[in-house]
This record gives sequence, C-alpha cells and structure tokens, in this order.
Amino acid sequence: MIHTKQLPMGLSVIVEEMEHVESVAYDLLMPGGLICDPQDMVGSSLIFAELIGRGAGTLDSRGLSEAFDDAGIRHGEWAGTDRIGCSGSLLATKLPRALELVSMMVLQPRLPEEEIENIRSVLLQDLAALNDNPARRAMVELNRRFYPAPFNRSSLGEAQGLLATGRARMEQLHAQVAKPSQAILSIAGRVKAADVFAEVERLFGGWGGVSAELPSFGAISPHEYSHIEVDSAQVQIVMAAPSVKFAEPDYYAGKLAVSLLGSSMFGRLFMELREKRGLCYSVYARHGSNTSYGTVTAYVGTTPERAQESLDLLLGEFARLQGSVSEAELARAKTNLKAALVMGEESPGSRAASNATDWWLLRRVRSLQEVNEAIGAVTLEDVNGFIERHPFSPCTILTLGRAPLDVSASIIRGGR
Amino acid sequence: MPGLFHQTTLANGLTILGETNSANASASIGFFVKTGARDETPTESGVSHFLEHMLFKGTPTRSAIDINLQLGNLGAQANAFTSEENTVYYAAVIPENFREMQELLSDMMRPLLDPQEFDMEKKVILEEIALYQDRPHFYLFENASMDFFGAHPAGNSVLGSHASVSGLTRDGMKAYFDCRYSPSNIVLAATGNFSWERFVEDAQRFCGGWMDFPVTRDTPRYAGKSQGRTFSRKNLSHAHAVLFTLGPSAQDEERYPLSVLSTILGDSSGSRLYWALIDKGLADSASVDSDERDGTGCWSAYVSAAPDRLDKAVSIAREVLAEPLDFSGADLERAKSKIVARIVLDGELPMGRLMSLGMEWSYRRRSTPLQEVVERVLSITHRDIEQALTRFPLSGWAEYRLVPE
Repeated sequence: MIHTKQLPMGLSVIVEEMEHVESVAYDLLMPGGLICDPQDMVGSSLIFAELIGRGAGTLDSRGLSEAFDDAGIRHGEWAGTDRIGCSGSLLATKLPRALELVSMMVLQPRLPEEEIENIRSVLLQDLAALNDNPARRAMVELNRRFYPAPFNRSSLGEAQGLLATGRARMEQLHAQVAKPSQAILSIAGRVKAADVFAEVERLFGGWGGVSAELPSFGAISPHEYSHIEVDSAQVQIVMAAPSVKFAEPDYYAGKLAVSLLGSSMFGRLFMELREKRGLCYSVYARHGSNTSYGTVTAYVGTTPERAQESLDLLLGEFARLQGSVSEAELARAKTNLKAALVMGEESPGSRAASNATDWWLLRRVRSLQEVNEAIGAVTLEDVNGFIERHPFSPCTILTLGRAPLDVSASIIRGGR
Repeated sequence: MPGLFHQTTLANGLTILGETNSANASASIGFFVKTGARDETPTESGVSHFLEHMLFKGTPTRSAIDINLQLGNLGAQANAFTSEENTVYYAAVIPENFREMQELLSDMMRPLLDPQEFDMEKKVILEEIALYQDRPHFYLFENASMDFFGAHPAGNSVLGSHASVSGLTRDGMKAYFDCRYSPSNIVLAATGNFSWERFVEDAQRFCGGWMDFPVTRDTPRYAGKSQGRTFSRKNLSHAHAVLFTLGPSAQDEERYPLSVLSTILGDSSGSRLYWALIDKGLADSASVDSDERDGTGCWSAYVSAAPDRLDKAVSIAREVLAEPLDFSGADLERAKSKIVARIVLDGELPMGRLMSLGMEWSYRRRSTPLQEVVERVLSITHRDIEQALTRFPLSGWAEYRLVPE
C-alpha cells in the first residue's frame, strides 16, 4: 500500500507499507548535483555530499559515523548528474534514528573545513584510477561527447573543479541545494505510513526554502566518431543515440525494442556477437532515461583483431531492427520486463528507489498494475513506429584501445 | 518472517535443500557443485570455469539458442559463477515458472559438450581473460594468491591463462565433468515461494537417473611461508597492495569471532583502517577480509592509493593491524550491530537465502537458521576474539604490490 503526503514547505513524502519484510529503505532526493556546479568547480557537489556525513548537529564526524553504525544502518550520501541524495537500508525498528540522522545532515551539517582536503584527496585518487578502468573510462568519454553541456559532465567531477572547491562553496551548496520545495523522501518497508509521516513532520518541520533550479537541456547533436589511444588488452567500443524520455508515449516501445536487442542472454547482440561468433565476453544495449532525455547506449569489449568485425555487427544489428522484430521476441522482452518488476516488489530498496523515480519524473507513483498494462499494450506496430522516429542514427561512437577503427561503412548502414 | 527449512537426499546422493516462504513474490533455485580451480591439474587450469559456460551451450535435447530463449521466455534472472572451490548455477523466477525453471536447469546439468560449441566458447573465455587483464585490482589478487599459496591448490587461477585455456580439449573437459559432477558432489537448493513436496518429486524425476560415483578433494591446511613480491605495469595510474597471512577455514569455529574482528579493523566505513586511511585522504580504498576456504584460509588486507602515497598507506595499515587490541570502546558492539543488520537484510530476498543455504551445506553439511546465526554473532565477546587470534594471529604478512613501471 502506497501513501503520499506533501508537507507545507514542499517536501513530498512517499511511504510504501510492506508487510513481508523486516527491513526498510529510504531515499531522500534534492534537485542539484553535477549539472548545477559552476563551470570552474565541477565536482564540488561530490565534496558536499561527502562532507554532510562528516559531522552534523551535536555529532562530530566520528560521532555521526558511529551513530549510523550503532543502529546497523547501511547508508550513503551522494551527488549524481541532477540530484543530491541520502540513501540507506536498515532494520525497520531503527527508522526513527535513521531519519533523525538524515535530518541532521541536511538541516544542520557542520561542513568542517579541515575535512574538505581529505575528501578532495580521495576524489582525486578516484579520478586518477579511472585511467585503469577502460570500460568505465570509455563510457565517461562517450557521455562527454554525446550530451550537451553541462549534462556531459563526468560523475567523478573534474580535477580542476575539485581543487578549486573551498568552504564557501560548501555553504553556498547548503543554502541552494539542501532545500525542500521540490525534494522527495521515499520510504518502503515494514512501517506504518501514519507513524512515518508524524516522524518526518517532527524532524523536518523546520526545514524551508526553494530547491535549486536545474539548467535546461540543450539539443543532442551526435557527432560521429572518436578514438582514444591506450595500450590495453581489449578495445572498448561504445555508442550512444537519442531516444525517448520517461513518460513519453513511445517510452515502453523504446525500452522493449532495446531490450530485445541488447538484453543479456536472449538479446540479438548477445546471440550474434557472443553465441554465434565468440567475439566478446561482454556486449549489451541499454535504454536509459531521466527528466531531460532518453538515450540508447551500447557496449562491446573485444581484442584488437576482432574489434572491426564487432563494431560492424553491433551497428548492423541496430540498423537491421526496423521491421524485423517478431511477435515472439516482443513477448519475451515483455515477460522479462514484467518479471523484473514483480521481483523488484520484494525488495524495500528497489521499491523506495522506484517510487522516488516515479515522483521525480511524474509527480505521482504508478501502481504495478498500471506499469504492467503499459508494457502489455505495446504492439509490434508501436515498436516499429518507435524505431522509425528514433532510428539510432546519427549516433556518437567512441573506441578506446590501441588503434582507431573504420566507422564509415557502419555509420552509413546504421543511418539508413 | 523466517522460512521453513527442509532437507532430503535422493538415492543417488544428490542433496536437496529448501526454505519455503509463501510471503515471497519469487522463488530462487540453484545447483551448487563442489568443484573449482583447486580441483584442476596445471594442464586443466581454467576448465571448471570453461565448463560452467558450456552448461549453457546445449544438452542432448536443447541447443544453446533453445536454452537462451527459454530463459528469456521464463523471465528468469539466471546466471552462474565459478570460484576456486565452487561452481554455482542459479535462477530467480516468478512462482508460476518455478517448475519449468527446475526442469531446464536440471537438463543443463547434463551438458552435451558439443565440439563446435566448445571451440566457439573458447574464444569467449579468451576474451574474458583479456578483459580481466585490463583490471589491475584483479590482476594483483590473482597473482598474489597464486604466489602466497604456492603449490597448495587454493591459489589456483579460476580463469586459467591464455595458454592453459588454449590447450584445453573437449574430451579433457568431458573427463573432468565425469570426475566431478557426481550427484553426491552437488547440492540442489531452492528458496522462496514454491512447494517443497513437488520440488522433491520433480528433482527425483529430473535428477534421479544421474549416476553416482565417488568424488574426492584433498583439503590440507596451507602452512607455508611466503615473502610477497612487487609486480609492475606500464601506464598504471593507481597503485595497489594486498597483504596475506593464514586465517580460519570455512570449517573453523574461529570464523565467527574473526569476522567480527575484520569488521572492526577493515569494514568499508567506520573501521580502524577507514579512520586511519580513507578519512584522512591517504588511500581511496582499504579493507580487511577473512577469506575462508575448504580446510584452509587466509586473512587479506587491501589498500589502493596514488602511487606516491602507497608506501605511507601500507605502513599505516601495518601499524593498525599490529596494534594491541583494545575493546574498551564500543567497537565490538558496533561491529556486531553492523553484521546482524547485514545478515537480516541479505537474508530477506530468496536469492540471498539461496546462496547462504547452498554454500553452508557445501562446506559444512548443515544449515543454520538465520536467527541462530544472529544469536551466534551477538554472543561473541572480546575473549572469543583473543582466543581465536592465538590460532590465527594477525602477523607474518606476505606483502604484494602492483605499481607503475
């Protein structure tokens, strides 16, 4: 059973009561994140998300950390592309304590100046370590080229921006981002909604202010191809193309089309590249979306001598999709999407996250039945119509490895 | 809401375990085969893992494509993994599809090992080996583990090398299968929303005809001494170090108090290493784990940092590990709270329970209800830890590093 309530200062509280579990999960989302960082301080949001965990209210850094641990709360404070969040999972009996600690971090963080240098140091090391993770680096570089600024920023921030961040920026972030008017607190697990609402009102009642305004999303203009030279055992091949956003009419048609193409074991990419030709270990295509955009991304990692064939096949499968989808393939993709939904119902963490996402994008929470019906209603005609309107071309392609590949033929095929 | 535990054994030796819980929205099922890298000879290196892939590549009645499509039609979240000691095949499905999933997974356990599919899949395995070559952290752990355990099989590589996998043959794999995949060396387990009676009945139907034969594994305790070494690589941006010393096995009772100790020392947050290294920005990752194996085990302590800070980070980590233990603070109770919350949260989903059920039986031939595990953890005192440390002290570390060339 899902209950929602909007507090007078704007905070939306969503509670899903789940009787068959002992635990509870929470997600507090506030508009902000990397796209809101000033040009010269990209990554300051990452420092802020860490810093609110280093002391709040009456507790210093160690005291706060120990308070979470004493209650057995697994928690994380984080900054993403367009939001800053506090998430956690715990035994349901400890929820009041968890909410109290979260309210302290958001309302009264100490933002100790002496901790900024330590956090920066860890984040700079993470950034350097990206060079040793070719698959992740390829995705970061792909996003940098595919999305318009500032949506193309790396989730790890930028060295220059991390170095330029000081205490003043932390205070500014607290004043601008840690605000409730558009914030969402989603809770799912063995709880009673009435108890949670009362607790949230008590702890967050004094919170006020207007949430950060997110920059508007510019047009995507995919560019053709770039190569980054690194001496690695495998070549990383990644591509991105514009697609539909969440809640647009074509959304589930798009999600299903990409799923039957690129889902793990039964998708066409897995069958053609791995099962029939043994070209790779990992290959997939995914459909992702948020408030501003929808995107199809695809990945294949393979050794240099097989990279050209892999790229050609990958793009060839995208080009071949139009008009070739069978009823059986569509049915399979639907079954998988629906089964994943049912299994997600069991986990407080996935329920809290899914309800929060619904509210973030739609300002309401959909029932499982509504989502199931939307998936069930997609026809072959819808899928073909989606591909017609979003032909995966032009797309942005990036390779990372010893030598560039020839993309001319594939792009022409991919763009018919 | 704890599930109900059941156990039986078929005439051919296949152990069947179940934990039924009608409140769950799904059911999970898995075969736990007690075989892995440690059961391979040097020329077979990588065969357990390659064989795991081949179970998805066809049976006498199904092609590889049939298997993939059926998994898709069932909406199954299915996969498999191979470790040094176990090979596990598992799937989560909605309750209506449980029976069909059981039939499919059981059929996969008697693979065809088609020569053409074997040659094709070998290419995939070689790609997987190349993929891990590009992951420095993995490279260090694998090479350090091989060096630390020396001639003891616990250090065998799971993936094998390019050379060893290239040399594997279909018939060699078949011979390995015929020595290891005996029903008495396998546990079939299920958890969640399913009927136990029907599960056992179907297991008899699908697996009752499998021929039993004896399977052995030597489990000597590793007692050797290693010095450690430094590996280097070109174009490395980050540096890593791992320290190994002898630790409790999966059968040693000391594993309970020592898991509490490893949480105190090296959990990802709020541990002594966290405060000494991560909180101060000296390293971006630091942990202590007790890696419990069949009949033997090791402690590992891991640190990663910018290359110019690794020396300092490792020397601080060594100081933390060598400090006399002081339990005057709340460390002990805090670590226990963290572990208990994790046990309960991980046990809430059928897949989480499946893994603990299957693994515990594979190693210890018993099952411990969740509540009993929780009570066991809560009862641990500082004396238990001190006592366990007399057998497995945190000293004599072999140090391995991976640094830029």
